[in-house]
Amino acid sequence: MTLSPGFASVLSSGRADFNARFVAARRVYADLDADAFAAFLQSGVDELARAVEAVRADRLANVTQAAYDAALELAGQKLAGPGSRVASVEEAWRRVLPKAAHLVATAPARLIAAVCNAAHQLATTPGARPAQWVEAMAGIAPQCAEVEPFLQVGQVAAWRAGLAHFREGALAVGDLLPETLALAAVNAKPGLRWAEVRQRLLACPWFDPASDSETPAAPRIVAQAGAFRGFGGLFVEPPTVAATGRHFLARSGEECWLLTADAFGSTFHRATIGEFEAASRESRMPDGLQVNGSRVVVDGARFEVPAFGEFTSAAANSTTLAVTSRFTHSVVLVALK
Amino acid sequence: MGLLNVFQRVSQTPTNPHPTAAARGFDVADLYRGPVSTTLESTDAGAPPLDEKLRQAYFWVVNTAIISPHYDVEYNDGPPQSFILGDSKSRLTLPSAQSYSSFVLLPLLTFAARRKCLFVGGPGRGKTASAILMGVLAGASVREVRRAMQHGHPQMTIADLLGNPLPADLVSAQRLEDIRISWRQWLGLRVKIIDEYNRIPTRTQSALLTVMGDNYAEILNHIFECPESAWFLTANDDQGGGTYPVIEALRDRIDVVVQALAFNPRFLADLLARIEENVRPEEVVPRQIIFTETEVDRMQNEIRNVTLPDEVRRRLEFFTSQFEFCEVAGDQFEYKTKDTARLAGIEWHTLAAQETGRDRLKDLGCQTKNGLSVRVLMTLLIYAKALAYFRGNRVVELEDVRQILPFVLHDKLAPDIEAPFFDAPGHAVFRADRVGWLRKVFDLACADYDRLNLDRDDPVSAFGEEFRRGLDGLSDNETRARLVKIERLITEWSKGRKLYGHLYDDLLKLKYLHQRYTNYLRWLKTQ
Repeated sequence: MTLSPGFASVLSSGRADFNARFVAARRVYADLDADAFAAFLQSGVDELARAVEAVRADRLANVTQAAYDAALELAGQKLAGPGSRVASVEEAWRRVLPKAAHLVATAPARLIAAVCNAAHQLATTPGARPAQWVEAMAGIAPQCAEVEPFLQVGQVAAWRAGLAHFREGALAVGDLLPETLALAAVNAKPGLRWAEVRQRLLACPWFDPASDSETPAAPRIVAQAGAFRGFGGLFVEPPTVAATGRHFLARSGEECWLLTADAFGSTFHRATIGEFEAASRESRMPDGLQVNGSRVVVDGARFEVPAFGEFTSAAANSTTLAVTSRFTHSVVLVALK
Repeated sequence: MGLLNVFQRVSQTPTNPHPTAAARGFDVADLYRGPVSTTLESTDAGAPPLDEKLRQAYFWVVNTAIISPHYDVEYNDGPPQSFILGDSKSRLTLPSAQSYSSFVLLPLLTFAARRKCLFVGGPGRGKTASAILMGVLAGASVREVRRAMQHGHPQMTIADLLGNPLPADLVSAQRLEDIRISWRQWLGLRVKIIDEYNRIPTRTQSALLTVMGDNYAEILNHIFECPESAWFLTANDDQGGGTYPVIEALRDRIDVVVQALAFNPRFLADLLARIEENVRPEEVVPRQIIFTETEVDRMQNEIRNVTLPDEVRRRLEFFTSQFEFCEVAGDQFEYKTKDTARLAGIEWHTLAAQETGRDRLKDLGCQTKNGLSVRVLMTLLIYAKALAYFRGNRVVELEDVRQILPFVLHDKLAPDIEAPFFDAPGHAVFRADRVGWLRKVFDLACADYDRLNLDRDDPVSAFGEEFRRGLDGLSDNETRARLVKIERLITEWSKGRKLYGHLYDDLLKLKYLHQRYTNYLRWLKTQ
């Protein structure tokens, strides 16, 4: 594959320095594969260089410097190039960065790092959907005129791609974005206003602005979070749950996690036994909700969780009920609104 | 052809024909370079590769400048012819491949890698002349080299060595910074020669140590930064016959020691011709073998890029492991080293007498009073690469390490000449022949390595390789499994096996891996 003339020229003019950086990187990453790195330069980095040259040729040298260093770090950690451990990082580089070339030209090191790190974060979070994030960002990037909104959109898109713990932060930055960008970031249906979307998102974690249908009737099962450790999950034994504010705490054996969940996904974060026990003591069911044996009654209406057996624990907040059973290593989440 | 031309003749054909070695290191130029050369790329077109130029220089020195070379660095590409001679069954070998004279080869490698070489040997054997030749190869004139050469003598002061404050400034200056220093010119040269360095007084040796070790000189708070350079030192007798004892740190800075061997009178006719024709080799060095500063820089990089394969490295590790371990020197495992005993000032023979259980004849560690420092190992690796490079290879062979090792360890590995090894039949000669002894020890270590089948069955290497692949994404279960494997191996080794140097280092490596996994597991639990 032939390199673009601009990229080749920058590499040629700084050849000794670029080679020295490779040698230095190899000291840090003993497994840094020269062939894999070269392949990534020829594909991903060259593609970005071409895009930058088309919009801001004067910034090509700076972008190349930053991209080269980032590529070294990625290749050294086997996150880019042939044989990469996490395909999404390279996917994000190749699909998102060229679309944001006008922004990369302004702040190359910051933007390249942000995009790669976001893709990596999504790829390594169980249940998250990096491909969805890449798709969304590639579509929105040309609409962003400045770096800051682009990064904020990235945060919102990451939330939508499964990082449920970004929810509060994403809603806050949504307020800072131009309305069209904010609506595009949450993939809202045409005709909606941000204020309305935001209101509904705040009111119910199970509301999806992209959904065509009106919110389905509650109660209904909306998610099953977690899995047996032997199958790549977290739990060594069926968990139990307790409510803590808008989230839940899950305990399995002597380990605990904070569970954040909404319509876009669920994530677990390490917590302590003390937190779990404190939350268990303070756990109260909302008014109108009764859980007994294997039966849930919401405002007088009975609700069944099929093939679930007797609940081993149950906890709820105003929008969500979490139940566990000895037959599963998951926490079943039931939307109450 | 005039006489001068005879002396200036340089090999025209490749001195050691090889298929062109593929470049190993990463070079961004490979991404954009094509069949059409650019102006930037074509500056060196037509010039021989630098390793070829280095060999041309070697052969010019061997064939023209030195009258009786000794081919003591022997290479074979098939079984060599060898003959047993005399009552003591001396072996004379006729090597089957290109072999070299250490007296020329080692200085040239030192020049190419910009290291430090000590010539030892009796007076008048060509030590200083060889050092001057190296200076000329670096592009200086003979006169410049001679003037810049420092001659050690008992009255040599720091000012003689480094320079003087200007007398006028000494009188008029109000602050130290105002005193200008007239630095000696030799400090700025790329080849530095110190003749008879063991005649320099101890205080001046300390100043020399700063220049050699840290590459700068200091007078009255003023600093002179020296360029990276090759050093050549000479000593008539390095075993204590100098006017002043050489301080240990200075001796430690010397990378290789090469002995000027005796003149073979069979070459007297050549010596006579040289006298009659009045030709001094250093004055007729051909232009083609003189290196520019940039070329030496490039050569250094190319030497660094020579690969040292894992199999060779492992044998070197195994060899090195033999020496530092001393079971009775410490209580805690990590402190069971000869260095612990040395720092405590315990006499070596007191320790040796306490050693029990191991076969002191077979245990290579019993032959030395010390182990190898990091500096020595780095030097050994660089010279092994330099030798491979000189031979036109881009990969170090075991034989390169075997050949270079005695010259690097000459002054670094102190033999215990009262060890049982030296009393064994035929080994008494090694008390005097340091080069032969070191090569023998390396051969014995390699034989032991083969006996233990470590090329094929080396669990510590396997664990190391597993760890080197990284901890990223390693599960809790897998980490625990690796910890169990390590513990199981140590349990197995602890069943009645005697502790030798290589096992000791392996156990410390296992402890290191165990600790890394333990820490990782602890971190994993918080995620």
